[in-house]
Amino acid sequence: MVICGNTIMDNIIFELKDVYFSYLGKFPALCGIDIRINQGQKVSIIGANGTGKSTFLQILDGLIFADRGVLSFCGQQLNEEIFNDAKFSREFRSKVGFIFQNSDVQLFCPTVKEDIVFGPLQLGLAKGQIQKRLEKLIATLNIEELLDRSPQQLSIGEKRKVAIASTLIIDPQILILDEPTAGLDPLTTRNIIDLLIAENNSGKTIITATHDLHIVEEISDIVYVFGRGKSIVKSGLANNILNDPALLKENNLVHIHSHQHQDKVHVHPHVHLEHHV
Amino acid sequence: MKSNNFIERSIVGGLTFLKDSIFAEEVAQRGGFLQSLDVRVKIISFLLFILQALFTGSIPALLFLYALCLFLGLISRIELVFFLKRTWFFIPLFSLGIAFPAIFGPGEPLLSWQILGAKFSITHQGLQGAVVFVIRVITCVSFVVLLNITTRHFDLLKVLRIFKIPAIFIMILGMCYRYIYLFAGIIQNTYLAIKSRVGRGVQYQQGQGMVAWNIASLWDRSVGLNEEVYKAMLSRGYQGEALAWNDFKIRTKDWLWLFAVILLWIILFLN
Ligand SMILES: Nc1ncnc2c1ncn2[C@@H]1O[C@H](COP(=O)(O)OP(=O)(O)OP(=O)(O)O)[C@@H](O)[C@H]1O
Ligand SMILES: [Mg+2]
Repeated sequence: MVICGNTIMDNIIFELKDVYFSYLGKFPALCGIDIRINQGQKVSIIGANGTGKSTFLQILDGLIFADRGVLSFCGQQLNEEIFNDAKFSREFRSKVGFIFQNSDVQLFCPTVKEDIVFGPLQLGLAKGQIQKRLEKLIATLNIEELLDRSPQQLSIGEKRKVAIASTLIIDPQILILDEPTAGLDPLTTRNIIDLLIAENNSGKTIITATHDLHIVEEISDIVYVFGRGKSIVKSGLANNILNDPALLKENNLVHIHSHQHQDKVHVHPHVHLEHHV
Repeated sequence: MKSNNFIERSIVGGLTFLKDSIFAEEVAQRGGFLQSLDVRVKIISFLLFILQALFTGSIPALLFLYALCLFLGLISRIELVFFLKRTWFFIPLFSLGIAFPAIFGPGEPLLSWQILGAKFSITHQGLQGAVVFVIRVITCVSFVVLLNITTRHFDLLKVLRIFKIPAIFIMILGMCYRYIYLFAGIIQNTYLAIKSRVGRGVQYQQGQGMVAWNIASLWDRSVGLNEEVYKAMLSRGYQGEALAWNDFKIRTKDWLWLFAVILLWIILFLN
């Protein structure tokens, strides 16, 4: 499976060079990001609240554009003009799928079913094929009985599943996920992670932002840690990052638990990764 | 909690009203006769009924249409009392404003009396006109309400699309509809959040302030949300003209119904 049309350049899908972004020109959100993402990689972005993870992902998806620096997709520079080209835009949108942090904004259709089929309809897929994909997703995500309801009336977890379905139905080669497991129960989290791993095994590139250290190891070949300076403070293999308590503590990713056992209080740092897996 | 509390009344009351009136799709999901018709066919037949009620001056024809409407309601699993309450609710408004003065219109006097030297008489023609008017209004209102409560709102919106109303307009209507619901939820939660922070008693003055603040923050949120929603649409390939999925199907039953309605229409029209 070749995404970029040619096989030169090591299959680099996204390449960012010294990217800066600020909201309304005055609220800095990204300060000098350099990243390369290869085809088929599992990449995760971790960091405290407000360190620019969501902003970074939106830049990757061509929803907002850098103030400074260069972002290229398959060697082609992304900017506002290129998305005015309907053909490019359709190709890009069918290759790259984005699951928003806030499912409420991602679901804007009257019924769950319409929401799920929105993407492929816009991208011009045939109805028969849409129907087939829909049925498959309904089965995997177990959302049969939600189809005729309004997305508004669902629980947070149900909304998330529908949002995931509405992106997966496009069958994108690259999946960008912003906090896919926040607010989900352990079993649903498990199912979603399994789903992502299966997608990755079939060759898809998975880029995930998360605070949930439980899931980091499974969904990353490489972890990037975003720091308070809104730039990458460290990157490396999941193992190395997760075994660096000082780094995690510095970046609000672990907390100190204090337990009270009758009259004794004992305090120890606590890396959440140790719990399940 | 005091029930005459300002916030309670204005926010929670308003929301309950909104949810009950606009979002009550419960009736539309019952399996009755009208619910089972194709939405397009249903809308066309109701338009025909309403046109008939507007143009006929005959009391028997109007009564027939009204009875038909109630009958349709019954076979669509709508409780008669609920339906009558919803529809007759509008009548006093119209009858006071328009029908009542009409009974004194020109014509043969039925009943006359004098007040302070001025002579009032209720005339035959005036009375007939008023009766026709009231029945006509109640018939039209009943058909509109019946259509409204037996159809899911988004199906109505989709039919507008089929009738060539521009997509962007319908999209906006649909999103408004959806976001009214979302905002209703936000306000409800904000109210709960405030309540949980300030305790049970929220004073009147304070309450007014909060309502004003709520409206302002709501506006902010709606602007922010719009941007985000737009991004979400872009991300899934939206390019200015949204394509919708409709799976309306006209079956034999719908054709039979439409045929019967047109036949009835012609018969009533010829009389
Ligand atoms: N619409 C906006 N307008 C102004 N500033 C914004 C906006 N969105 C984000 N920011 C700012 O940009 C910075 C990065 O935000 P971003 O949402 O990317 O963080 P994040 O890492 O995704 O945080 P979280 O973990 O809370 O989701 C923050 O300082 C935030 O205040
Ligand atoms: Mg975020």
